[in-house]
Amino acid sequence: MLESLREPLGEAFFVRALTAVVISGITCACLGAYVVLRRMAFVSTALTHSILPGVVAAMLLGFSPYLGALGAALLTAAGAAWLASRRDTSEDSAVGVMLSVMFAAGIALMQQANSWRDFAGLLFGSVVSVGPEDLLVIGLTAAVVLTGLRLLHKELELASFDEEYAQLLGARPGLMRVVLLALVALGAVSCVRLVGALLTTALFVIPAATGVLLGRTLPQVMAWGSACAVAGGVVGLYLSYYFPAIPSGAGIVLCCALPYLAARLIAPRR
Amino acid sequence: MSATPSSWPSRLSRAMFALLPTLPYAPSEKAGCGGIAIRATNLTARARADGPVAFQDASFEIPCGCRAALIGPNGSGKSTLLRVLAGLTRAESGTVLIGDATPRTGRRRIAYLSQRPHLTAYFPLRLRRLVQMGTYAHHGWLEECFHGDQAVDLALERMGLSELSDRPVHTLSGGQLQRGLIARAIVQGAEILLLDEPYAALDQSSREIIDRFLFSQGQHFTVLMATHDPADLARFDRILELRDHAVTTRRACDGHGHHHA
Repeated sequence: MLESLREPLGEAFFVRALTAVVISGITCACLGAYVVLRRMAFVSTALTHSILPGVVAAMLLGFSPYLGALGAALLTAAGAAWLASRRDTSEDSAVGVMLSVMFAAGIALMQQANSWRDFAGLLFGSVVSVGPEDLLVIGLTAAVVLTGLRLLHKELELASFDEEYAQLLGARPGLMRVVLLALVALGAVSCVRLVGALLTTALFVIPAATGVLLGRTLPQVMAWGSACAVAGGVVGLYLSYYFPAIPSGAGIVLCCALPYLAARLIAPRR
Repeated sequence: MSATPSSWPSRLSRAMFALLPTLPYAPSEKAGCGGIAIRATNLTARARADGPVAFQDASFEIPCGCRAALIGPNGSGKSTLLRVLAGLTRAESGTVLIGDATPRTGRRRIAYLSQRPHLTAYFPLRLRRLVQMGTYAHHGWLEECFHGDQAVDLALERMGLSELSDRPVHTLSGGQLQRGLIARAIVQGAEILLLDEPYAALDQSSREIIDRFLFSQGQHFTVLMATHDPADLARFDRILELRDHAVTTRRACDGHGHHHA
């Protein structure tokens, strides 16, 4: 038993994948607490899906896919904010428009590149192909996101809980919303390698939703969420190592859903 | 500051905050009220940018330490007026002075309680943390508040909430929550309380605790309360009536709680 846990650790690619899963899991779970509590799940879906055209465009034009992904995510956020700035357009539909437009643009660009198979990893994730430079990007974005969340913790908490009071004190709830969207875009870029553009939302929503069921303060929610993401990520990774039929991205997401289901059944109703 | 031995992440974050400069949320004014607490001049505003005018060219003043009631029929713009004074809704024209500052620089002095607080439902937050948010007024960006515990305890006790301090906010009753929000205003050190029908849907005990705080303890803050209860008006030093888009002042107040007929 112990041997079968230790065996994959001999492989450099597996250790890199494990590190990436743990770092990204914690980052996404902490960000996810805000995503879930502020009902931003749909926006986060739009941001993560819009990574697709960004990465494909970067490959076609020959610059860093991470920059392409970040640019596309920021473009989506800005576009949605602009569309929703009119009273008669709800934020919901603005986000829906941007999500579908960006994703369709991505599919059109993929056709230009003339090779669908290259992009399977982008859509569905390929954690085993995480290289040292990917790990560096993941580590850096995690550092930026977690430092940002820590430094702005009291303002983000206040703005998420009582926007009016934040405005009254001058704690800029509107700015906090923009900061949060930017951090979600950064976090999404860092974990697109792991679970793919289609499933990245899952890492934001599922662990944090588990945390919300179990935690009674915001730090507790983040801690439970991180625990759930790390456990799900590690188990999912081992699972896809021993059962190659299970793709790693899907395995990670499914294993994150198990603690959620357990918490849903066990946690006392509030 | 409580110096409990703590884990390395919390020590790390303290060191990080200690290194960073603090930026105030808003330019701050020195506290203390001398003379007029709220002065509105030719104020015109709408509840919503595309809606009808709520009040036009309204001018009035409320002296420091005055308990003022704001009356008027439903939809006359009482809530809009309070929101404009709090700096939450922009006035179309006219000026508001808080003490001798604008609402922006004077914002720390103001506490505003809306009729139905728009709090995020099921947010994981204990009552104690909610009240502690009042201390943020004295902090700013890039600062964690490790202190203010004593003021929080005192405010909780004053509002009769000491036993509930560890309860999640979403399990509190409407009256308990309203008292919690007033405790937050106390911790904030607000000198001007703008209250939008605070008694709507309150049980008797909550109402009594809030009354005792507003009407019989000291004179160091100013109250402007929107109310519908005609029997209630005797307790106020000054009455502002909002009717037909205009504000009229009835009953004078010399600022020390004694009113002239």
